[in-house]
Parts: sequence; C-alpha cells; structure tokens
Amino acid sequence: MSTATVEELTEVAAPEPFWSRQRRLGLALVLIGLLAAAVFGSLAPSEDARFTLSEDAEGAALSINGQFGAVLFGLLALAAGGAMLAGLARRRSNVLLSLGILAFVLSFLCWQVAGNFMPLVDTTEGTLQLALPLILGALAGVLGERSGVVNVAIEGQFLMGAFAGALVGTMATSVWVGLISAALGGVIIAAILAVLSIRYLVDQTVVGMVLNLFALGITGFLYERLMQPDAQTYNTPPQMPEWRIPALADIPVVGPVLFQANLLVWVALALVVVIHFGLSRTRWGLRTRAVGEHPTAADTVGIRVRGLRYLNVLLGGVVAGIGGAYFTLVATGNFTKNMTAGAGFIALAALIFGRYTPFGALGAALFFGFAQKLATYLSAIESPVPSQFLNMLPYLATLIAVAGLVGRVRAPAADGVPYIKG
Amino acid sequence: MHRKEGVLRPVRGNRIVAILAAGGLTLAAAACGEAPKESTPGSSTSAAAAYKACMVTDTGGIDDKSFNASAWAGIQAAQKEATNVDPKYVASSSEADYEPGLRNYVSQGCNFILAVGGLMGTATTKVAKESSKSQFAIVDSGSESPNVYPMQFATQQAAFLAGYLAAGYSKTGKVGTYGGLKIPPVTIFMDGFADGVAHYNTAKGKNVQVLGWDKKAQNGSFAENFGDQNKGKSITQTLVSQGADVIMPVAGGTGLGTAAVAKDSAGKVAVIWVDQDGCTSAAQYCDVFLSTVIKNIEEAVKEAVVKGAKGETLSATPGYVGDLSNNGVSIAEFHSFDSKVDATLKSELEKLKADIIAGTVKVESASAPK
Repeated sequence: MSTATVEELTEVAAPEPFWSRQRRLGLALVLIGLLAAAVFGSLAPSEDARFTLSEDAEGAALSINGQFGAVLFGLLALAAGGAMLAGLARRRSNVLLSLGILAFVLSFLCWQVAGNFMPLVDTTEGTLQLALPLILGALAGVLGERSGVVNVAIEGQFLMGAFAGALVGTMATSVWVGLISAALGGVIIAAILAVLSIRYLVDQTVVGMVLNLFALGITGFLYERLMQPDAQTYNTPPQMPEWRIPALADIPVVGPVLFQANLLVWVALALVVVIHFGLSRTRWGLRTRAVGEHPTAADTVGIRVRGLRYLNVLLGGVVAGIGGAYFTLVATGNFTKNMTAGAGFIALAALIFGRYTPFGALGAALFFGFAQKLATYLSAIESPVPSQFLNMLPYLATLIAVAGLVGRVRAPAADGVPYIKG
Repeated sequence: MHRKEGVLRPVRGNRIVAILAAGGLTLAAAACGEAPKESTPGSSTSAAAAYKACMVTDTGGIDDKSFNASAWAGIQAAQKEATNVDPKYVASSSEADYEPGLRNYVSQGCNFILAVGGLMGTATTKVAKESSKSQFAIVDSGSESPNVYPMQFATQQAAFLAGYLAAGYSKTGKVGTYGGLKIPPVTIFMDGFADGVAHYNTAKGKNVQVLGWDKKAQNGSFAENFGDQNKGKSITQTLVSQGADVIMPVAGGTGLGTAAVAKDSAGKVAVIWVDQDGCTSAAQYCDVFLSTVIKNIEEAVKEAVVKGAKGETLSATPGYVGDLSNNGVSIAEFHSFDSKVDATLKSELEKLKADIIAGTVKVESASAPK
C-alpha cells in the first residue's frame, strides 16, 4: 500500500520517542498480564477446566487445572508485554501483541471454565455465526469507504436484504432466487445512497441514517400488512443447505465449523481474500484507493471518479444484501420487524476497528462475534461476570480504537467528501 | 447555467432525503395505524349509548403476537358480546407517546381507556389522577389511582407447572430458560419455571438443573432484545451445548431463534412458548412446542369491557388477578407432544394445578402482583 510505505519511511527518518507505540502497548500488556495472573489466578477454583472438542460435554477434551491455567496464561501475557517493553522483535510486535491478548483471554477462560466445561465446537461455530453478517457488512463498508463514500446504511441494506430474501425466496420456493433477491435488496438501498451522495452531494452520514429509517419503515410496513397475515405464502423461506466436505470435516473443531457449513460461510471468507487481493494487487484496487485518497489527482490521470464510486457502492450493496440474506435464509426461517437489531452498526464498528481493510474487518468481526458468544456462554454457566460487560465489549473496543489508543485508525483521506469536478 | 446546476444539486438532494425520511417514518407509523372500522349494524347500537373502548398500545404495536394483540382481540371480542362497544386504538411508537395517547382519549370522551403493558404504569397513574372522572384500565401493572382497573396475572403459577413439565420431560436432566429483558413481566415466568423444576426435584428425589436463570440471585441469560432471532439462536445453542433439552424463551420474537434451533435438532430439543399458544401465534414451529405458558389477557380485557359496557362498576381493588383458578393463566395442551408426555406426568400436573389453586402448594415470585 502506498500510504504504508510513506509511514514506514517517516518512522525510519524521525528519531523515535522512548514511549513508542510498541512500548506503550507492551506496558499495557504487562499490566493486564499481572492482573490476570494475580486476580484471575486467586479467584479461580483449583478444579479442572475442560475444553471439549465437540458441541457438548461429550468426547475428547483438553483439560487444565483452572487456577494453574489462569496463572500460567497470565504470566505468558506478562512475558509477551515484557518482550515488547524491552524492545525485542520490533518487526514482529503485532505477533507479540496478539499472543499476549490471546494469553489474557485464555487466562480469563481458565478462571471461568474451572469446574465446568466449554464446548469448543459450539463456541467456534457460534462465534462464526454471529460474526458472519458482520464480516459481510464490514466488507460492504470497505468497498464504499475505500473509494470515498461513507456507508452508514449497512443496517438498512441488511434489513432490505433479509426482507427481500425472505419474501422472494418464499414465493419462488427457491433459496437461490431468495439469495439473488437479497443481493438486489441491498443494491436498491446502495443505489439510493450512491445517487444522493455522489450526484446530489448530500451529507453522506445523513443519507445513511435516513436510509436506515426508510428501510426499517418499508420492511416493517410490508411485514405487518403482507407477511404477517399470510405467513405461509410470504414468510416461510426455504433454508440454505449445509454442505459437508468429506475428510476435511473430520478435523477436530475447525472441521465441523468450516467444512460442514452453508455457502455463505465460504462466500464471506472468500470475499475477504478476493477484496484484499483486489484492493492491493489489481488495477481496480489501485484506482479505488486513488479515488478514495485523492480524487482530484485520480481525475487528472483519467480515472472516472464518480463512475468508480458508483460501481463500488453498488458492489457493496450486493455484499451487504447477501449479509442480510444470512438472517432469513440461514439463521432463521422467517423475517420479523427490525430483526437485524443493530448488527449493521456493529459491522460499521468492525470496519473502523479493522482499519478499513478486509482482513482487519474479518478479525474485528470475529472478535465481536466471540465477545457476544462468550457473553451468552458466561450467563448460561452463571458466571459472576455480568454479561452486560461482555455485551458492551465491541463498542468499548471500537471507542478505544477510534480514540487512537491502540495504533492509529486512519480513514481514507477523501472519505465522505463528494467529488465536484471543477 | 452549469454553475447554477451545481448549486442546486444539494438542495434537490436534501429534498429527496427529506421525502425518504418522511416516507420511512410514515410507513413505520402506518404499519400500526387505525384498524379497519367495523360498523355495527342493527338497532342495538342506537338503543344503548355507545361505549367507547379506547386502547393505547405499548411500543410493540397492535400486531406483536403478544400482549398488545391479545388485548385488542379482547376488546373486539367484547364488541361481539355487547354491541354498543365502540373500539379504537392508537399505537405508541415510543415511551414518550404514552401520556399524549392517554390524554387524547380522555379529551375524546372515551368511556374505557386501556393501557397495555407494565411499562405504561406510571404514565397511566399520572393521567388517571389528572382526570378522575374517566375510567382507565391497565394490563400487567398495578396502580394507586382509584379509577384505574388493574389486570394482573399470577403467571408464576402457570410457569411453575411448565417447569415441572420440563423437568419431567427432560432426558438430559437439564432444562433452560432465558429472557428478553430483565424486567418483572419477564422474570416472573423464569421464577415460576425454576420453582417448578425445584418442586419436581424434591418430589422425585432427582436433580434436574435449570440453566439461564438463578432465582435466588435473580440473575441469568438475557437477549437484551425482543426481536433479535439470531441472538436467540445463539443463546439457545449455548444452552443446548450445556446439556439442556427443554428451553423456555421469554423473549417475544427473539424466541423464534430458539424454535429454529429446536426444528434443526430433529426432536432432541423441545420449546416451551409463552403468552399465547405457540401453535397459534407461531404456527410454523408448532411441531417443536412442548407446551405454552398462557396468559389469557384476551379474556380478562373482554370481561372488563363487557362489564363496563353494561354499566357495572370496575373496582380498582382488587381489580383482576388472573391465576390458575380463574383460567387467567394456564398451560396449553401438548399438541404434537401429546403422545410423548407420559400419562403419570400428565396426572401429576393436574394434581399440582389443583394443589396450587387450593393453596397447598405456594408459588412465589418477587415479580408477582401484590
């Protein structure tokens, strides 16, 4: 990426202050590692924490003494932080950071699961289920925002997609027709967003919010007047089948989650790779980034700024619409009013937390999904940790990211600025 | 010319945005607008003065498949019995609409103003005190004002039976429940459910566990939402993975996620629905409903309106308390599970119901009507 190289150059050129980003993060890791080892370790009962490799209590399990595990992983987090503080492995500081956070989470889990069990397949599967719409929504955001159009209407696109998928899918009794209609539903909202923000230069955040209201109103109205009175004809969409890839599906934990899944799981993961590759390696990607960072310059070298923005926003509509299809064609067998319940806004948060990159968005979405799944798990085993705390974790993480405490989140320079040829 | 075009564009754009916003909001409101007027032909209308029964819904709207819908059905049923009843309703789209909605009906001279839902309690008491000549009624809440007729439900009694049924039906020895929000009208179900399981354990010397609700600590699993099916699905999968095979979601539309999981489980997981018989309100999932904890709001509202229309007084104390004895709360029939629930369990449930009515078995809940 062009911007990354510029940053690296300046880093080399300017003498770094002692409290560099790496050291600050290292210090934070040392502190949370210490907290984990001391607090989690002392609170954890000295009983086995079992992590079963299945969907329930049955089958093989990884087992560790809760107290020992909490202390051990706490110390590991501390060690990772210490290494960063000491300035070791500078080039690999992100790896150290990830390992440190992972160790912290494991320490927490050892404390919570001690004397109980956590089914890993269920946890992973649940994480992916909750993350799936977020991944697709955030990717839709990446497409729009990297070319300079802010998309706050992901929620509206989800709703439209979910609604169109359910309605047309039921009427055509085909899940594939439903999927295509869902994509079209997303495109309708995207098209209004594109025309208003690119041609009519309206404030993009305002348009996005209005489109969310609009989608909520129209789907709610049609739901109550059309679907509800005659659910059999209009609101019983067929469900997407689950496909199993032999051999691969037998791998423990990962197998049943990734290789015995519905099409959308693979579509979402493939799109992450495709969009990443597209943005960084293809002519389309280079132009998209140029248009998002400096449209005037792009225009000067002959790139059609508005045309490209239209294309990207509409592509984003397709992706978000498919994300909406997840709600009605995969997760549940019917549409209900406002069923997306704010997932579009969490997708937006995942986009920002993921620094406007496809893999960042994937990571953020998985993290948010995991936090939500963990919240339901903890309340089911009657953990003393309030589930509300875990429920707010995604938003807290985004606030921290946006406030610039963990690295810098930089939006594309021309994000949200309409391009006026002049 | 070109320049003028550039200046005007945002103006036009803003107009379009305004139209979209207005359109969206209107549609949202229209979805819960005025009901089709049913004219009441015949001479009886002119014989007796019209009795205006006016209802203010909670934010769920008239078609919520839950208490608002039940209350409205009650008023409509009353119209069939006492033809001088003239039904009307207005839907609240937020909590800020409660008071204006109620006041509006006071000024329209309604004879019977019904507020639906515990959340409207404060607003109703306030407006009722201001206009002491009007007759109010409220579902799911008490009131200090003498002109408010409260209709409350000892839901914990029916939930107790459901808990006993779940414990008796469970093969894994674990049952689960979760709520939409941690508010009394929800947790009263969960309290009764947990007590019913505990009663089964003492009676049978078993150790069936309840996941998702700890009555003593008054803490458990909540979806924080009444319409998020995906969340309901996720919570249910967690409960199932922990071993539960009977689940009672007290979460409105969120609970449909539970029904979806049960449907995929091919008979391993059974669901206990709440409020209205699941085989009516969520008919597509009828196969997975073991039973339903029914709150008969419809009947209670109907009776109150008919009484009022006949000119009888509706006294605020004690008001109406629906329990097992007056069929205000009950558990539904087993539908497709009828053959799977064994006869001894059925007779034990009958016995238990009689015991609760007689008062030999007491079911208590911090959220129960006082």
